Amino acid sequence: MTSTTLDRAPARKAPPGSPGGPRRRLGRGEARWGVLLALPAILGFAIFTIGPMVASLIFSLTDWQIGGDPQFIGVGNYVEMAGDPLFWKSLGVTTYYTLAAVPLTLFVGFVVALLVNQSFRGQSLWRTVYYLPTLVPAVASAVLWIWIFNPDFGLFNTILRSVGLPTSNWLYSESTAIPSLVIMATWGFGNAMVIFLAGLQGVPGQLYEAVALDGGGAWAKFRHVTWPFMTPVIFYNLVTGVIGTFQVFNQAYVMTEGGPNNATLFYIYYLYTKAFTDSEMGYASALAWVLFLIVMVVTVVLFRNARSWVFYEMGDAR
Amino acid sequence: MTGVLAPGPKNPSAPTATAVQRRGRSPRTRVGEARGLTRAGLWLVLAFGAIVMIVPFVWLIRSALMTDAQIFSSPPAWIPDPFAWENFPQALTAQPFARYFLNTMIIELFVVTGTVITCSLSAFSFARLRWRGRNVVFGLLLSGVMLPYAVTLIPTFVMWSELGALDTFIPLTVPAFFAGAGGGVFNIFLFRQFFLSIPYELDEAAYIDGANPWTVYWRIIMPLAKPVTVVVVIFTFIGVWNDFLGPLLYLTDDSNFTLALGLATFQSTYTAQWGLLMAASLVVILPIIVLFFVLQRYFVEGVTLTGLKG
Amino acid sequence: MTGSPNLSRRDVLKIGGGLAATVGIGGSLAACSGGNEFEYMFWGSTGEQDAIEAMLSSFQDTQEQLTIKPVYTPADYDTKLNALVASGNVPDLGYVQPAMAYRLAEQGKLLDLAPYFDEYPSLGQRLPGSYFYWDEGKCLGTQGANETVITFYNRAAFAETGAQPPPASAAEAWDWDTYVENAYLLTADQSGRRPDEAGFDPAQVARFGTLASMWSGAWYGLLLSAGVDVVDSSGTRTMLDSPEAIDMFQKLIDLMYEHRVAPSPSQLGNNAPSMAVQLASGRLGMAVDGQWALLDVSQAGFDFGVGVLPSLGTPKTTAMGGPTAIFADTEYVEQALELYAFQSDPDQVDLFSSGLWMPLEEKYYTDPEAIASWTDNDAHPPEYKTAVIDYTLENSQTYFTQKLRNIEEIDRLITATTERIQTGEEDVATVMGELAAQLNDGMLQGVYPSAPQ
Repeated sequence: MTSTTLDRAPARKAPPGSPGGPRRRLGRGEARWGVLLALPAILGFAIFTIGPMVASLIFSLTDWQIGGDPQFIGVGNYVEMAGDPLFWKSLGVTTYYTLAAVPLTLFVGFVVALLVNQSFRGQSLWRTVYYLPTLVPAVASAVLWIWIFNPDFGLFNTILRSVGLPTSNWLYSESTAIPSLVIMATWGFGNAMVIFLAGLQGVPGQLYEAVALDGGGAWAKFRHVTWPFMTPVIFYNLVTGVIGTFQVFNQAYVMTEGGPNNATLFYIYYLYTKAFTDSEMGYASALAWVLFLIVMVVTVVLFRNARSWVFYEMGDAR
Repeated sequence: MTGVLAPGPKNPSAPTATAVQRRGRSPRTRVGEARGLTRAGLWLVLAFGAIVMIVPFVWLIRSALMTDAQIFSSPPAWIPDPFAWENFPQALTAQPFARYFLNTMIIELFVVTGTVITCSLSAFSFARLRWRGRNVVFGLLLSGVMLPYAVTLIPTFVMWSELGALDTFIPLTVPAFFAGAGGGVFNIFLFRQFFLSIPYELDEAAYIDGANPWTVYWRIIMPLAKPVTVVVVIFTFIGVWNDFLGPLLYLTDDSNFTLALGLATFQSTYTAQWGLLMAASLVVILPIIVLFFVLQRYFVEGVTLTGLKG
Repeated sequence: MTGSPNLSRRDVLKIGGGLAATVGIGGSLAACSGGNEFEYMFWGSTGEQDAIEAMLSSFQDTQEQLTIKPVYTPADYDTKLNALVASGNVPDLGYVQPAMAYRLAEQGKLLDLAPYFDEYPSLGQRLPGSYFYWDEGKCLGTQGANETVITFYNRAAFAETGAQPPPASAAEAWDWDTYVENAYLLTADQSGRRPDEAGFDPAQVARFGTLASMWSGAWYGLLLSAGVDVVDSSGTRTMLDSPEAIDMFQKLIDLMYEHRVAPSPSQLGNNAPSMAVQLASGRLGMAVDGQWALLDVSQAGFDFGVGVLPSLGTPKTTAMGGPTAIFADTEYVEQALELYAFQSDPDQVDLFSSGLWMPLEEKYYTDPEAIASWTDNDAHPPEYKTAVIDYTLENSQTYFTQKLRNIEEIDRLITATTERIQTGEEDVATVMGELAAQLNDGMLQGVYPSAPQ
């Protein structure tokens, strides 16, 4: 048991089944089992997902108002988007929000997960309390946050004023609206925390002992044991966080309606308005496919990049 | 070396046992004191954070006991005066909530069962079985959640309409048995990430003993995957519990409505009955708080890899 | 099984059977739906839901063949209606948002009611502004109810401060200066100082004189009173950059930042607290809002009054209401028309007498007996007749969002623009100039026809 043992995290194991590695014993049956067990997902995709996806791709090439007949207009919608200031505005707003909210939520979720994973007295209670914000219905928490952010008598400004700090207009100013929503999103880190918490249960405890024997302190334990074993889960939270946050909708829908002056016009909120208020399903579909491509590219980059830092026991995974 | 990181199923705890023994023998009083201090500090941080986190819940409780006028009085009050207890009976009788609860639980039963089984099965295949096209298929599945649901909603709705399934629970439950088609992909991904962290030597040994993949999935992997299974159960349950748009679209007869729809009636298109909304919200989230409180016990360290019980 | 298992047929059946069983179970959950159903789709609070369902149930009593099915859709109404339209499952009768109603009518999805106006006088003799004509002579229906914008006030606040209550008839409508003067009298900070007194603390205001709502429904009446409209008679050029419009917006903004008699949007917060609550608690002296607030105001337990809006020239207010339409696919045209008349009858729906809605038929504004049938109750104060009924009949104009084509895009732009000026930091004339440039660049596409006189 040497420190090299523990340091191997970023190094990839030889894939099982590759020359020199342990030979698999499943042979041909493995592929058939593989497809069979994945069948629910494959069928689900084929039955419920691919059809609507293709349909929306076709809609995106048409001028279609729900209820009317679609007119094929080629890339007309996409050309229109290039000159639509609200498209660019919403894309900028959403990117800004994603870049701020995802790292913050992940960081706070991770730190709190480490904390509530300690065997403190009343551990169950702590965990539940930290998860509570995600359980409060969106509408109820929206009302709460509108009060917290109220510049006149809200919680934040009351505190700031009492300690003599300058106050802010929070949601009511174009420059601070998005940062305000980021704060609100971060406070709902509970889902990330729960996933991290589950991930922490997979970190083999005996390795900490090994690090201690080698004279390593808390940092070494974290760096050489916790971190590498947590990378698959961190990666999961990062990818799903990015996919989900690019599609953020609720805060604009229940709190700001995209204002002030479109400062919180999230991409999906704009798309949703186009699709269901204006019934412009052709244009909305084009908006959707552009976002799809953006998220797809980001995800592919994340997956490629993952090879250098995510550590899997199954060496051939990506 | 492999033995430490990835103990075979037959003798999983051997190295740990020695480590624990050695540690137990060494005198560590000073380190213990320092640790005690650190722990006290951490405990304080935890407690402070908890206060911040509990604010919304306290807010919800106090609002549930207030009249609309009090909820929005400025500056805000924390103690209801008077206590508007009548919000509860009024809110809970405004709609047939018992019926809505039953409807929601029926949907929960199917969706949670379907999602956990089919998502974990598929994830097992994606993580631990090798087959041609595996990564391509997984990538395709993942791409399905990258397209905003707002534009697939209409085609999906039309499909269920053609199948004559409107105003039934079918559109809300059946997709769950296809690995939660759509959003369920996140669950496959989550299971996959956890499965990828389990050493393959476990499967290897089982296959040598003549097991088939189903046996490995059911007898080896799933028992080790309790924490992630619990996460998926919690997320799926809460997802269904709070799902508003699905039931709104597919259900028309209000005897088929769910709890989330019932809540929405207090905040309708142009009006809101805040006191009733808060009271009903409080009652409606209590079961999921209890659920979380109970299930989080499965997040107990050391189950997965060491195989040690307790 | 050996070390290299093959997938047996039995395994396949086991797993496949499980899936099939699943679908089967799902199938058994399907509810049966009977024939002869007539769907009525609507939104509203739980109170409105009860009122509408009661109305539908009394209509049901007049029907033998038909089963009336309420389709209550509390929120995301447009989303559901769009899905129903796309899949061909539209209701028989229902609420529709104005822009979507015009769109559906143009697509032939709504019934033209114009041919039935003679046969059903209660349909044909409604307030002219309440009709939605999508083309010459083609009418998709009327508003489901009427609403106008008025001033609500707290009598105690006026008595206390010696301010004059807002006039209850259009002929006596305040000019702007009188309005501002009275708002000054009503406004006071925590130590009782008025905004024009030394030491007034704008951060600690106990009561604001009035509200400077930047919602277009609230300022549209003021704009009209100044002699201009959102668009000129061509419907393709805006008048929002006219000196009159700029002056009107400047006056509203001055209420907040110059006179400090109205809360700024940041002092107010967006959806909290509701106007009725603020009036009742004395945090507000007056408020300009839709007539529907009468339901909440009259139940808030304080001495309130209603009055007309201040005027910048000719007293004017806004009349509005979402349309209700019959879908062209209905197999029961006759019953649909009967129900269409029935649903707006104050004898059948208590939302009229409770203060939420105003009737549509002209007789409810002119015939004393008919007026009494919906206003002779606690919700409607004595001055309601002149301040609301006569005011509506003689001084109201239909809300522009019910008349302009391409209104969704226009409305988004106007909302964003008013959000810019309401911070008090941008020059109104410049911002209105930018707004006009965008509106005049093809966004304004004309107006829908009015009801024939």
